[in-house]
Amino acid sequence: MSGPTVKIVNIVESLLINNDLAADRNQRRLAEAGVLTINVMAAPGAGKTSLIVRTVEALRDQARVGVIEGDIAGSVDTERVLAAGARDAVQINTGGNCHLEANMVDRALTELDLSQLDLLLLENVGNLVCPTHWALGEHLKLCLVGAAEGDDKPVKYPEMFAVSDVIVLNKIDLIDHVDFNREFFLESVRALNPGAPVFEVSCRTGAGIAKWAAWLLAQRAALGGAAATTEVA
Amino acid sequence: MHELSVMAYMLERVESHADRLGATKVIAINLVVGERSSFVDDSLLFYFEMLTPGTRAEGALLNLRRTLMRCHCPPCDTDFHPSGADFRCPRCDTVGQVTDEGTELLIESLEVVT
Repeated sequence: MSGPTVKIVNIVESLLINNDLAADRNQRRLAEAGVLTINVMAAPGAGKTSLIVRTVEALRDQARVGVIEGDIAGSVDTERVLAAGARDAVQINTGGNCHLEANMVDRALTELDLSQLDLLLLENVGNLVCPTHWALGEHLKLCLVGAAEGDDKPVKYPEMFAVSDVIVLNKIDLIDHVDFNREFFLESVRALNPGAPVFEVSCRTGAGIAKWAAWLLAQRAALGGAAATTEVA
Repeated sequence: MHELSVMAYMLERVESHADRLGATKVIAINLVVGERSSFVDDSLLFYFEMLTPGTRAEGALLNLRRTLMRCHCPPCDTDFHPSGADFRCPRCDTVGQVTDEGTELLIESLEVVT
C-alpha cells in the first residue's frame, strides 16, 4: 500500500467567496422586494448619518426608506434616522468588526418588512479600507467623503473610489476654509472611476441634497418592481 | 484589522477544499493578494498563525504573491505604477486611467497531503 502523497491543487477562487455568495442571496431578496439598497461607506466623521438623515427627510413624501445602521456599538443613529422619518431602522453592532459582512445584513433583513420599503440605506462602519471587499447585497456602493478630510483621499484610498457607483462630497460649505483642491480631487476620482457621478452637498446647509435625492429616486424607479415613487400613504 | 475576517473566511474555504480532496494535512496555501486590497502581509500572517492551531492547516506555509496597481497613460500607450501622490504619468504628466491590475484576492492553489 502506498503512503501519503503530496499534491498541489489549483483552486483560483476569491478568498471571500462565502461572503460573495451570501451577498448574492441578499441581493436577490432585495431585488424581488423592489428595495433599492445603497451601501454607504465613508471614514468616521465624514457625515454618513447626516447624509442618511438628509436623504430620508428629502424623500419622506416620495419613498419609504429603511435604514440599517452598522456601528461598533450604540444605537444613537437609529433614533436619529427614525426621527427624520425613516419607515424602519435596524442597528447592527459589529462588536469591534471594522466593516459589515453579508451575513450580518442577512440577519438584519429578517427584522425589516421589505414589502413596506422602496429604499434601504446601509450605513457601513466608518472605514475607507475594509468595507471595499465585503459585498453586502447592495445595488449601489456609495463613497462619501468630507471636504475637510482633504483632496487626497482618492489617492490614499484608491480602492474605495474605484469600486463605488456614486461619490458624494460632503461639507462643501467648508471647501474654502480647508484648502480643498476640487480639480485635483476630481482628477484623481476620474483616474480611478471614470463613470461614477459625483454629487457635492452640505448636510449642514442642505445644499445639493435635492439633486442627490432626485438621482437616488431615479435609480429606484429604474430598478422597477413594486410601486416606487408613488405618493407615500 | 480586516485581515482577521479575511483569514477566517479563507480558512473556512481551505477546510472545505481539504474535505473535498480527502486531505489529511495542508502544507501550503498560495494566495494572490493585489496591492489595491491594502492587506498587510504581517497582519495576514499574524492572524493565520492565530487561527490555524487545531486545523489541518496548522504549521502550513502561507505564501503571498503580490500584484501591483497599474495606471494606463493613453498618449504614451504605456502602463505605470502610480507614485502615491497622484495618478499622473511620470513621462508626460497626463492623468492616467487605473487598470484592473492589483485587485486580486485569490486562493490560487493548495499543497495538501492525501
